[in-house]
Amino acid sequence: MIRAALIGNPNVGKTEIFNRLTGLSQRVGNFPGVTVEKKAGRMIHRGQEVEVVDLPGTYSLTAHALDELVARDYIVMERPDVIVDIVDGTNLERNLYLTLLLLEMDANLVVALNRWDMVAARGMKIDVEKLSELLGCPVVQTVAITGEGLEDLKNSIVEVAGQKNAKENRAVQNYGDDIEQLINRVEDVIQKSPAPVEKYPRRWLAIKMLEGDERVMEQTRASLSSPQLAEILSIIEAGEAAIR
Amino acid sequence: MSTKRQLTDLRPGEKGRIIAISTSGTVRGRMMDMGLVAGSEVKVIRVAPAGDPVEVLLRGYSLALRKKDAVNVTLEVD
Repeated sequence: MIRAALIGNPNVGKTEIFNRLTGLSQRVGNFPGVTVEKKAGRMIHRGQEVEVVDLPGTYSLTAHALDELVARDYIVMERPDVIVDIVDGTNLERNLYLTLLLLEMDANLVVALNRWDMVAARGMKIDVEKLSELLGCPVVQTVAITGEGLEDLKNSIVEVAGQKNAKENRAVQNYGDDIEQLINRVEDVIQKSPAPVEKYPRRWLAIKMLEGDERVMEQTRASLSSPQLAEILSIIEAGEAAIR
Repeated sequence: MSTKRQLTDLRPGEKGRIIAISTSGTVRGRMMDMGLVAGSEVKVIRVAPAGDPVEVLLRGYSLALRKKDAVNVTLEVD
């Protein structure tokens, strides 16, 4: 069975796409320990069974807000086969921020460029092929309310799930030499740590540690030796001093 | 010549370019997540009575800010 998760900014038509994909089979569930709901449903496409999970709508993936944390933990810990990022085509600039965060998390991504009818109606033009090339993942135009493009989206979900090298060309955000150097140094320390840390994408972990993300610090504390932790903290400190 | 002004000093219709966000921690991170970073152009759409909240247009969408957060946004205004 393929496991797919839907994510996107609030009010981009995410739940409408969820309902289109899963028909009437959706049910409402709860993530353990929190009150933020997730919905899960199933679809069958090209003979493949796909479990589709609708994650809370978010603008970012920090540890500060519960809904963002639910979405982020699901992606990092459950490692779904495909993440479908529903993007409001009429507001790419704001929406693509989340897309880049997802790529940073090593997500196996499909971008649904939703509200495609509105894009044309507003006289906007988007070079979909170029966008797909820049992001390094498939981009599918959709109109959730009419169902347009949903077959293409289903095809992409099944295709990407079956591709082992789907992530090879994905876009990596470059933060500039000074920050990149810090990321590399933290990654080197993480690399030497025992197995448990390795289930997280290493670059993502390094970035979160540099941001001082309390959740990541807490989650990795057990996996890192105290000299390693001390080394990472000194890299962060030196980095902050240099940037200031 | 451009002048330095706080976001809360702008009237509806006026715009500027962000040069600094002088707050820290979670609020700063949240504001940056929403696209309020140095270089972003911000236009004030409307201001509620007593100046709280302030609705601005940035990156093609509307964002409402509390007065106590908006006051920390420094803009360069032409």
